[in-house]
Amino acid sequence: MAEVVTTKPTVGNRVAMRGKRGQKLAAYGFLSPAIISLAVLSFLPVLYTIYIAFTNFDATHFLSHQFVGFQNFIALFNPSDPLFSVFWPTMEWTFIFAIVATMANYFVGLLLAVILSNPHMHESAVYRSLLIIPWAVPGLISLLAWQGLLNQNYGQINGLLHFFGIAAVNWLGVPFWARVSVLMVNLWAGFPFMMTVTLGALQAIPPELPQAAAIDGASKVQQFRYITMPQVWKLSLPLVIPSFAGNFNNFNAVYLLTGGGPPRPTNEFVGYTDILASAAYKMTLTFNLYDWAAAISVILFIIVGCLSYINMRYTKAFEESDLT
Amino acid sequence: MMAKHEAGPSIALKKPRRGDIPRHELVFLWISRVFIWFVIALTLVPIWFVIEAAFNPTNAYFSLTLFPTHPSWANFHYLFAQTQFMLWVKNSVVIAGIVSVGQVVVTSLAAFSFSRLHFWGRKYGLMVLIIVQMFPNFLAIAAIYTVMAKLNLINDIWAYILILMGGSAFNIWLLKRYFDSIPRELDEAAYVDGANVWQRFTRVILPLSIPMLVVIFIFTLMGAFSEYILAGTILQTPDHYTLALGMYGMISGQFAKNWGDFAAAALLSAVPLAVTFGLLQRFIASGLMGGVKG
Repeated sequence: MAEVVTTKPTVGNRVAMRGKRGQKLAAYGFLSPAIISLAVLSFLPVLYTIYIAFTNFDATHFLSHQFVGFQNFIALFNPSDPLFSVFWPTMEWTFIFAIVATMANYFVGLLLAVILSNPHMHESAVYRSLLIIPWAVPGLISLLAWQGLLNQNYGQINGLLHFFGIAAVNWLGVPFWARVSVLMVNLWAGFPFMMTVTLGALQAIPPELPQAAAIDGASKVQQFRYITMPQVWKLSLPLVIPSFAGNFNNFNAVYLLTGGGPPRPTNEFVGYTDILASAAYKMTLTFNLYDWAAAISVILFIIVGCLSYINMRYTKAFEESDLT
Repeated sequence: MMAKHEAGPSIALKKPRRGDIPRHELVFLWISRVFIWFVIALTLVPIWFVIEAAFNPTNAYFSLTLFPTHPSWANFHYLFAQTQFMLWVKNSVVIAGIVSVGQVVVTSLAAFSFSRLHFWGRKYGLMVLIIVQMFPNFLAIAAIYTVMAKLNLINDIWAYILILMGGSAFNIWLLKRYFDSIPRELDEAAYVDGANVWQRFTRVILPLSIPMLVVIFIFTLMGAFSEYILAGTILQTPDHYTLALGMYGMISGQFAKNWGDFAAAALLSAVPLAVTFGLLQRFIASGLMGGVKG
């Protein structure tokens, strides 16, 4: 801190000399609303969730729950326990959903961004404004609207298929198509964000780089593969990993479209498209099994925590220089 | 800050004129155009279907026409006369409005101290906040629900507002990068002229950051509008329903009856937000990429 200050011009020096302690106090004053609200609203609930996960807290034990140690977590790994059959299939689908959704959004966004940055396409700004519309519609409204559009009997998507002579699909009623629908709608709503991010990254690449490669004899494909792509990837990664973590907990994308359904014949608690976040919601509000919900949430915390750590480690986007 | 280049020409040496495009690039250009048109059509057709349904009074949704056969305002009349739509809008506007204003205040205070002030914990503070935030509080749904039930706060609209109001570390990070891009000389000069920290913040930094503050306001507003999980947990009686809860109830399970009315409600609530978003598109794009170290 001190060295930085001394290298500053005299104005900065005088400023730094005056009331450093006052500034420190002011800093905590400015920070306190954010710190207090984050502590009370994010940190305490997480701690309490961890506590509940080690108890038998449910509707029948609402006033008299007891500490049960690792019992809920042992149940998660015990194949004969009902919690096992709730957790693992849901976990598997959560991972598939988050990975496929994020990759699909990224690659479709990137493909469109590359096409739109073609310098010969003079009207690309118009296309960009049109393609960004799904992002501009609040997710709640578009997801619920998709629920209607994909209705088997009356939905206009089946109407469109009928027009092309394709038989109606039971989009939200069959496990396979319900999962396809969740991914498809997520792609529809999610690619504009990735397109905006990758377009920004493409424009931030100094034009000298591909030019130099071209002079060295690299073809267009090679320039893209070895110059453009790594740069875009580096610039967009700090936003891609949070988006993966976001999809991992994308409650709305599932619950507002399918409600988690169609139901599994073997299991009354979760359906075929339920992800862990919607499972925790149902455990709490529908079945009043707070201990199970909390145990699932704790596993989610651990997974999301690891992802965040990787994000911090590899992108360094949130690390602060000491003081500039 | 990264260097901003003109939109587009990342490969070409100079801006080409229409005449001198080589033949193979012209072919490629037209293939690209047709592809983009196809994607735009795929993207916009569902939206058009919803608009069409909103103006289509008959329940013959399955019949595929490009325009509603007998367009009318019937669905909108029904919406205002027979449903609680206006109440939901009112609740959502009040909740989302208060939450967004609160978030902008909390976020800008914190971002200012991270950008401009010396204090212990500055170096890793933001990182810690981001990590804490990576656990969205709705994952603690069981904890929140049981605590609220014990405190008798279920169905309390202010409790719901308070829970959504927490500082957002991601927004702090976005805004801090924006503050960082404002030359330090500006507010240091004000400081030398006798302005205190608070005046530096409100008279110098804030007025220069209005575009980014608006972006954060809109992000929070859209998030609060679409928030379902906590609304569904806390708000229980229909008089406290937000748009999320009301519209979910409208479409879930009784699609055939309500599709036209739902479409009208979707149109009315989405258009103002979408238009605002469209107008801010430029700020949003630069705000997201703004401080990425290139």
